[in-house]
Amino acid sequence: MTKLKTKEYLHKLTAVNSDEYTALKRFTLPVLVIFYVCFFVFAILGNIEISEAYSKIGEEYVLTEYGKSIYLTLDIIFYIFCGLLPIALAATGFMIALIVLRKKEYSRHFNKSKLNRRIYPFDVILAIGMGIFCLLCIYPIVYVLAGSFNQGMDYSRGGVYFIPRVFTFENYKAVLMDDALWMGFLVTIGRTVIGTLTALVFTAAVGYAMSRPNLKFKPFFYWVNIFTMFFGGGLIPYFLIIKSIGLYDNFFVYIIPGLYSVYNMIVLQSGFKSIDSEIHDAAVVDGAGELRIWFQIYMPLSKPILATVALWLLVGHWNSYFDTMIYTNSDNLQTLQYYLLKTIQTSSLSEGLPSDMAERLSAQTVSLAAIIISIIPVLFFFPLIRKNFSSGIMVGSLKG
Amino acid sequence: MGNEMTGVEEKDILTCEDSENRSESPDQKKKKRKKWTSSDWTLVGMASLSLIFLAVFAYAPLYGLVLAFKQDGEYINIAHMITYGSWSGLDNFKEFFSNPDFGNIMFNTLGLNILQLLINFPCPIIFAVLTAELLSDRFKKTVQTVTFFPHFLSWAVFGGIFVLLFDFDTGILSSLKVDLLGDPNAFWGIIICTSLLKGMGWGSIIYVAAIAAIPQELYEAAKIDGANRWHKIMYITVPSIAPTITLFFILSVSGLLNNGIEHIWVFQNQNNIERSEVLDTYIYKYGIPQWNYGYATAIGLVKSVVSFLLLIGGNFICKKISGKGIY
Repeated sequence: MTKLKTKEYLHKLTAVNSDEYTALKRFTLPVLVIFYVCFFVFAILGNIEISEAYSKIGEEYVLTEYGKSIYLTLDIIFYIFCGLLPIALAATGFMIALIVLRKKEYSRHFNKSKLNRRIYPFDVILAIGMGIFCLLCIYPIVYVLAGSFNQGMDYSRGGVYFIPRVFTFENYKAVLMDDALWMGFLVTIGRTVIGTLTALVFTAAVGYAMSRPNLKFKPFFYWVNIFTMFFGGGLIPYFLIIKSIGLYDNFFVYIIPGLYSVYNMIVLQSGFKSIDSEIHDAAVVDGAGELRIWFQIYMPLSKPILATVALWLLVGHWNSYFDTMIYTNSDNLQTLQYYLLKTIQTSSLSEGLPSDMAERLSAQTVSLAAIIISIIPVLFFFPLIRKNFSSGIMVGSLKG
Repeated sequence: MGNEMTGVEEKDILTCEDSENRSESPDQKKKKRKKWTSSDWTLVGMASLSLIFLAVFAYAPLYGLVLAFKQDGEYINIAHMITYGSWSGLDNFKEFFSNPDFGNIMFNTLGLNILQLLINFPCPIIFAVLTAELLSDRFKKTVQTVTFFPHFLSWAVFGGIFVLLFDFDTGILSSLKVDLLGDPNAFWGIIICTSLLKGMGWGSIIYVAAIAAIPQELYEAAKIDGANRWHKIMYITVPSIAPTITLFFILSVSGLLNNGIEHIWVFQNQNNIERSEVLDTYIYKYGIPQWNYGYATAIGLVKSVVSFLLLIGGNFICKKISGKGIY
């Protein structure tokens, strides 16, 4: 296989001389950096400082001397920005074209086994339909992003659907100044980490015992577990139990009731069953006890299924808000999701803001900013999950 | 030796040797109680963890169901109410059935669920089959990644986004003067559509996995026999994933009365209460903030019994149609 260098095939494809290409590349990045720096400076100055440039005389706002100098600076930045705009756009286009060409060339050289199928109208319609569905899934996030960067007063006029109209960071400032948000983050992260780990170990212990053929009273254990899947006491008796064992308004209400679930136990049990029993026999001959066999041999061997169940638990812990609503009372135990729900439903602004800031904010844009902040950790973990589930969940689902 | 080995099937090597040494004949073995090894104790101990947990969090609430037959409002302490509360017979049930809201709530609960079963159950299957038909692998992966993403957002976030998106003053429908969230008739549509957007990609992975497990030779053979794409889907893909479909159908039938309170709670408001009040939200509202424990427990009991019957019924129907159920 002849391995073409990037420069060479770019030269071939785009008829750009390789030296020119290097020069272009060296030129492109600084331009982009300056462009984005300008953009942010412009955005920050343009909205946060502008209202301070006016002073209120009677009913009208008048531009002060201080304001004039701000406007002069802003104008200069704006001209730099405008001058760089076409260059930056061209540079971005060039970068994208490079990436696309590189990928194309790569697939031409290395993916020769690609099927040459005829494309039917059905394929086109299907692809368009899927694309539309994907856009529908993404659009809410775009809307939230646009709104969260928009100035509050301007947002309440309506019409901010795709890009912010009056750009500002004030909403984020307001949200980040709220202590309840940080408390919510702390509680949510705490319950997610502790809850997932303890539940995984607890459920796996039971699952291991149930997977062993020589467990005594196996049918008894089995039916006691299965029965609870079909018939439960309902919300109120459950609530009363929580209250009477002292978990009400206690951090452990997030951890202890979630320790065990029969469904997860069955999934883990089927994972343990699929491990060859000769491994168990060998460990017994070597003198290992059941606990050691479970924790040091069976747990590491069934990582994919453990990862699957851990993902379910993790998502469940991170996302649930109803338990906060039912089982807790104090503000210190509020989870992030419940905090968000409250800000959205009651449209309450976070307290303790400077009054000039509070005038320009609207409750809606602040809650939009809060939503974005709560999504960031998910965005951070999502690629990891995406990478792992192709091995984990597939195995788990087929066996479970 | 041979007889003994069949007698003690599925035992590990060490226990086999033990029983070999100790028991001379099958009859004697039955009478003699075997001594528990330390591994037996450990295993029973590990399995008993589940007993302890379920005793507290599953069986104790079952005992709490007696509240459904007790009178409300006399006792503040609940343990006291369970043990000493005066019996009210079926009064709580009668009160619920004669409530003017009763018909509405049952209609909403069943209607929403049946709609969800009819729409949200088959959609992930169709989606999985269709994504398998996409030509480009990279596009397939992109579609999957994008559609999975909403699953990782909570209903507070995902629903909250839609609450702001459809806001009467600032949302995308504000120029049309449509108040989608305050319209009772639009409520079911909102619930169905948002749960499709959030759950379709994630719900499809199990079917995607099942489709990936179908041997490619079947498709190649069908192609040689002149099958077109429709034939391949209908005669290979769908029959191959039928067991998975059956399993998940029964599971979703059993969850028929669980409306997903976190989902509905976000979208419920005073204007659409007529169509958005379901059993779950009703139980919560009457039980916890208003302290009508007996009344709410009675409704919960009705719910449990009906969903149990639905589970049995779903299993029965599946057995009739496809020849196998799961229980």
